[in-house]
Amino acid sequence: MLVQYAGLLIVLAVLVGVFSYGSEHFFQKNTFVSIANQIPDLTLVAVGMTLVLIVGGIDLSVGSVLALSSAVLGVLMVQYGWPLWGAIPLCLLAAAACGLFNGMVSIGFGIPSFIVTLGMLEIARGATKVVTDSQLIYIGSAVEPIGEPLPGVLLSPAFLLAVAAVIVGQFLLTCTVFGRYCVAIGTNAEAVRMSGIRSAPYSISVFVISGVLCGLAGLAHASRLSSADPNAAIGIELSAIAACVIGGTSLMGGRGSVVSSFIGVLIIAVLQTGLAQLGVSDAQKQIITGSVIVIAVIVDALRSRWVNEH
Amino acid sequence: MKYASLLLAFVLLGCSGPGDSQSSTGGGASGDDTPRIALVMKSLANEFFSTMADGAKQHQAEHADDYRLIVNGIKDERDLSRQVALVEEMVASGVDAIVIAPADSKALAPALRRAMQAGVVVVNIDNRLDADVLQREAIAIPFVGPDNKAGAKKVGDYLASKLTKGDAVAMLEGLRTSFNGAQRREGFEQAMREAGIVIVASQSAEWEMSKANTIAAAMLSEHPQIKAILAANDSMALGAMAAVKSSGRGGEVQIVGFDNISAIKSAIGEGKVLATADQHGDMLAVYGIEAALAMLEDPDQTPADIETPVELITAETTPK
Repeated sequence: MLVQYAGLLIVLAVLVGVFSYGSEHFFQKNTFVSIANQIPDLTLVAVGMTLVLIVGGIDLSVGSVLALSSAVLGVLMVQYGWPLWGAIPLCLLAAAACGLFNGMVSIGFGIPSFIVTLGMLEIARGATKVVTDSQLIYIGSAVEPIGEPLPGVLLSPAFLLAVAAVIVGQFLLTCTVFGRYCVAIGTNAEAVRMSGIRSAPYSISVFVISGVLCGLAGLAHASRLSSADPNAAIGIELSAIAACVIGGTSLMGGRGSVVSSFIGVLIIAVLQTGLAQLGVSDAQKQIITGSVIVIAVIVDALRSRWVNEH
Repeated sequence: MKYASLLLAFVLLGCSGPGDSQSSTGGGASGDDTPRIALVMKSLANEFFSTMADGAKQHQAEHADDYRLIVNGIKDERDLSRQVALVEEMVASGVDAIVIAPADSKALAPALRRAMQAGVVVVNIDNRLDADVLQREAIAIPFVGPDNKAGAKKVGDYLASKLTKGDAVAMLEGLRTSFNGAQRREGFEQAMREAGIVIVASQSAEWEMSKANTIAAAMLSEHPQIKAILAANDSMALGAMAAVKSSGRGGEVQIVGFDNISAIKSAIGEGKVLATADQHGDMLAVYGIEAALAMLEDPDQTPADIETPVELITAETTPK
């Protein structure tokens, strides 16, 4: 079990080691708490992305859907005075609707999800700007409980939610019929069809799950910033895909692990925080981040080759 | 070289760690009681902010015994969430003060409140935090920076002196969520109003050159009577300049900008851009750092806002 994650955990441990050596302020509780409370958005998005990649799709709209759902939340709370608990269902509903659209159109019409979700990337971003009038909506303390660390635990409800999503996602994938069908669809959709299983409902559900997770990520994002930002999470799809790929998820479908994607998220987050603490220049940050992504994938490939040979 | 070794450390996956990269800007200071100041910037790809950061690094090098400096920026000016994360990371790493150019005047306030609660001194530079939000968060953060409205008014007045009453002009605004953008717009509007000049079109080009180019081109064909374009920063002024040139009306339409970036200097020298304002970007972060050091020195003083100078730049003030 642990062998599966060994390659990634080695990379993570090496990064933590290098930063702890480089900065006397890195290896301490505060740093790890701040990392944990920053990653819920990316983690939630990456869980959904992993599932979508496994069925052989891709979801490029995650950042825009995240922004749209946080915009819905912000507008309901600020302009209509809704309480947080009333606004959350609508925020998730908006995100689920985007996911449903992605799934229905790409599966129903047999269009590559790359194109459909690319369209949704623009549509949802535009809708966000309409909803917010392109203005940042400052929500204030009403939304903060989700992103603020719980007293005593030091971790935020958003982080715990993200971890729960990872656990549920992994369980769904490995221990349920639904999950096994998803892997089968991604591996060989034709064989699945020949076995008399209708794959469409499964594939569509996966896009809806990805949408809902983006909605939760939007909630986490809004609570961390205490505001709904129309420009939120631009480019997060690439970070999420990077996290999945670092975690060994195949872009061709049929192979992937939610837990590994989560470790991928951790690698990205540790790298970002560590480089910031060292005050490395932006250009070098990009070079180092890119190199680590590639190295992590190489290490993981070597690990799986080693496992196969022994 | 230090970074090269850091890079190497990553590439080799860490046999040889970076020795002393903690004092990241090369200060010779060591010892734990030297204050550590984090400078949190907007996009360092924007020349204005990289100049600001360079000014700060140079100042640190000259005062290496007084403080240590960590400089971080975000990849573009819309990446709020990264900037909030940077503030949290700097607090977590135990800095004594944060000098910040906020990417948004509202969204950064809660993160800065948490930083202050953790005992970190916070100074606001460049883009002023929203007063209402600061009040709602129940915090006071001193602002060190120029009066953008007065600066834009100066530029607008100079432009007005070259135009006649009743002329039509267009305006390219910055990001509408930013305080500076709003201030510069108000300064331009006031100058135009006083001179009896009509603003026939006004749109946000979000500080960006290419966007400004598209919008200015559309404005020029929509309102051919436009005599001048007022851009809220120099990047947009350069975008407008290209649009004027491609519409074949070079020389007929005056352009003014703001910031005095190096690319605009030659355009002003050649008369393609009429004027801009220089808020001495290289000194802005330094003023902020000095304010932070003063606050660390004497924690009891009430932090007051500090206004820094803005200078009008025209062909007459620019040496050829």
